[in-house]
Amino acid sequence: MKRKVFPFSAVMGQEEIKKALIWNFVNPNIGGVLISGQKGTAKSTLVRASEYISGKKIIELPLNITEDRLLGAIDFENAVKNGTKKLEKGILYYADGNILYADEVNLLSDNIAKALLESGSEGICRVEREGISDVYPSKFILIGSMNPEESGLRPQLLDRFGLYVEVAGEENPLVRCEIIRRRIAFENDPVTFIAEYQEEDKKIAKRIQKAKDRLPSIEVSANALLLAAQLAHNANCEGSRGEITVIETAKAICALNGSSAVNKEAISEAAKYALPHRMRDSAPPQKKSEDNQEEQEQQAQQNQDETEEQTQTSSSESSAEENSSENSPFNEEKQGSGNSSFPFKEKDETEKTQSFGEQFEVGKWLDDDKRKRLIKKGSGRRSLVKTDSLQGRYVKSTMNSPEQSDIAFDATLRAAAPYQLSRDKNGMAIAIQSSDIRTKVREKRTGNFIVFVVDASASMGTGKRMAAVKGAILSLLSDAYQKRDKVAMITFRRDKADLVLGMTRSVDLAAKKLETISTGGKTPLYAGLEAAHNLIKASMRREKDLLPVVVLVSDGRATCGRSKDPFADAVREGCSLTADHIKTVIIDVEQDFIKLRLAEKLAKKMDAKVYKISELHAGAILSAVNMAICEKTGL
Amino acid sequence: MNERKVYPFTAIVGQEQMKTALILNIINPMLGGVLIRGEKGTAKSTAVRALAELMPNIKKVKGCKFGCDPYGAEFCPECEAKIASGEAFEIVESKMQVTDLPVSATEDRVVGTLDIEYAIKHGEKKFECGILAQANRNILYVDEVNLLDDHVVDVLLDSAAMGVNTIEREGISYSHPARFTLVGTMNPEEGDLRPQLLDRFGLVVDVTGENSKEQRAEVVRRRLEFEENPDLFAQRFEDSQNELSNRIAAAKKILKSVTYDNDILMMAATLSLALGVDGHRADITMIKTAMTIAAFHNRTQVSKEDLKNAAILVLPHRMRRTPFESGVLDENAIEQILLSNE
Repeated sequence: MKRKVFPFSAVMGQEEIKKALIWNFVNPNIGGVLISGQKGTAKSTLVRASEYISGKKIIELPLNITEDRLLGAIDFENAVKNGTKKLEKGILYYADGNILYADEVNLLSDNIAKALLESGSEGICRVEREGISDVYPSKFILIGSMNPEESGLRPQLLDRFGLYVEVAGEENPLVRCEIIRRRIAFENDPVTFIAEYQEEDKKIAKRIQKAKDRLPSIEVSANALLLAAQLAHNANCEGSRGEITVIETAKAICALNGSSAVNKEAISEAAKYALPHRMRDSAPPQKKSEDNQEEQEQQAQQNQDETEEQTQTSSSESSAEENSSENSPFNEEKQGSGNSSFPFKEKDETEKTQSFGEQFEVGKWLDDDKRKRLIKKGSGRRSLVKTDSLQGRYVKSTMNSPEQSDIAFDATLRAAAPYQLSRDKNGMAIAIQSSDIRTKVREKRTGNFIVFVVDASASMGTGKRMAAVKGAILSLLSDAYQKRDKVAMITFRRDKADLVLGMTRSVDLAAKKLETISTGGKTPLYAGLEAAHNLIKASMRREKDLLPVVVLVSDGRATCGRSKDPFADAVREGCSLTADHIKTVIIDVEQDFIKLRLAEKLAKKMDAKVYKISELHAGAILSAVNMAICEKTGL
Repeated sequence: MNERKVYPFTAIVGQEQMKTALILNIINPMLGGVLIRGEKGTAKSTAVRALAELMPNIKKVKGCKFGCDPYGAEFCPECEAKIASGEAFEIVESKMQVTDLPVSATEDRVVGTLDIEYAIKHGEKKFECGILAQANRNILYVDEVNLLDDHVVDVLLDSAAMGVNTIEREGISYSHPARFTLVGTMNPEEGDLRPQLLDRFGLVVDVTGENSKEQRAEVVRRRLEFEENPDLFAQRFEDSQNELSNRIAAAKKILKSVTYDNDILMMAATLSLALGVDGHRADITMIKTAMTIAAFHNRTQVSKEDLKNAAILVLPHRMRRTPFESGVLDENAIEQILLSNE
């Protein structure tokens, strides 16, 4: 269907995106552009508006595309009628010579992203599927847009983009006013509005066409090559794609402004767009990006990456599939809706409620590096997993599935189609045999499940200990909110553990509960761990894909146990968590003058990581938790 | 199934903000929908269901699966073909509808899929419409929208943003108009909404139970009366229902002629900047909402008061905040921002 799109020239500001797009239309060898920025900043409006000025078609890559439509699949109708195998081409075929636009490119499923990468690098698309073997040309300008708030982009995909632009909203109120006015005028009467800007769009189209004609005659001197190489080297870019892109972009810039040879200005401008996303981790300081947007979550990510580098861990353990029949002490009613054994309601003289301590800013001291902010190494945020459940996105089909319940009808029909001429069809057009059956492979994003186990005994009331703990947890919760992780909270004191908050996605609720935690009584450490274990087991029974992590906030001291040695009880419980492949991060809150180092002992026995609260900023806690998840998923 | 009587919209006690937000979205389908947040039992669903009776009639192309607007600018592939062949549209009129999107809906049912039956019978591919096709030019209602699967949310976002549903899956390649007003209800205690999806809702209202004893008693009294004899109850509110319908129809008529001056634009931009909202969607929605409020009050000029009321509906959920700040924005706060920026 034909759409009425907002005209290119009617978009106010956003000069960087406009430039990057126009350069690509002048010189398709640049390799596309990735636009990253907040919601509602005309990212996709500009891309969709490019059809007219570029003279190319824009092929959209919907998020929920399946492999058969991306690459192509057997022509089902033809196969049924003629019994021959013919490829029905996918959208990569139609993208050839045109623009392929992937909105929310960071949310694309893994299979699709991989297929995209393969074809993109060679300019051809090879299809080997469903008994068909074919090759067709597929050279296109890849344009992607994304909101980094949602999820990061895999590094390979990031490298695939020639240029990178970051956008934000306009700050000037007068410009903002004009933006509103134009948008409302467009919605009121799109046809008239588009006509008003047609002349302007035509001018841009002409400029692009003229530059395109000039492009082959632009000279590139040896010096220019050297400068580009130098810039790429300074930026510590991998491979030579960086300098090639710089040169190609500089050529486009010169073709547009009428110079006959690539000059220094063009190269330095091109470098601003072609290099930032290729900069490797330890970039020399002089090439630090000029952009200083301080988004906490992005910073947190850097922080996490930083820690990942320092600690070389590569254990990949299979996820726990332990399904014990043991009954959980927490029944469903309690989940998420507070809890009846809420101990703080009854007034107790010895109880104190401390307010939140400092809510830490996460990792501001780190270099601002665009690349790191863009990549999320699969850890934390919305990890992608293959799933057996019927939820999740259908990404492709398979023929080796033991259970044939989740049938992929389209793939099944295609499998059956070539044999139809020889089959007895009982009056139908198609007869399907069991050997044709294909089932769906689904993919799902899951969050992590963070279980806080917090010591609420009397010792936590001393000093500002509880306040510090609350501050730390609060910061973790903020991160969980952005990632949409699930959280639960257990406190232990006196002689038992209390489920303060069952598994929930509502971080608001968690924060409210956190506020009410008060301290007092003995320290039944074992009970806290046991409760966490049971809670995780119960939750995993319902949601198999969860990635659980226990965050134990304690000084390791145990004063109340099942046996005479409460600490040994705690160690036993802790080890059974480890045995079930549940990762634990211990936050040691010991602040006494004489250190007992019990938390460290416990951590050693449990093979868990331990962090001291005094050295820890919330950011570091965050990376600790994320790392635990990382190790677990083997990513 | 027999047609069940729905509780009349005008019989809902209190909850003025929620009612206004819903009505504004009927008057102006371009507002971007409304999200209603609140505890259980605060008449959220009742209000949305009750909208059906107030909906205006719209003109459609006869036989079009997507209910294309014969006077619109965008058409589905079938209607485009009709235009290309010079065939005149036959026009029918029918009420706007509330289309339900159950939380358990699978993606293929939402976006549409390959028609299996047709394929097996005829050996040909055909597109089978999904919920988004039905929702075109109607209201798409998602109860418990915060519990929707992520990948379904992605699809919703995509279509809501573009007004088009593009399908490239399961052997089908198709695109059709899907311009719907998204109405969601949720209980925030059961989990948050992704910021992306939150931003797509034009307006957000938070509802709480009524506080005064008299009002609460009235809520119960009406509910009991309704359950006892729905028909009689509906009759009692027929007049007020008709009056509201007429008012909506009148507002729809004058909406296009509502104007605003520069001061109003400046106010919107100032508020957005002061509160640090992302991008420009908030500004645009604020002005559109203010225009619709003016139309609802039968005026063709947006007043400052209209804009302030619009800001309260548009801004709170877009303000950058940690989840632990309350994110409250009331008239006083708005007044202060405007004063300090003069």
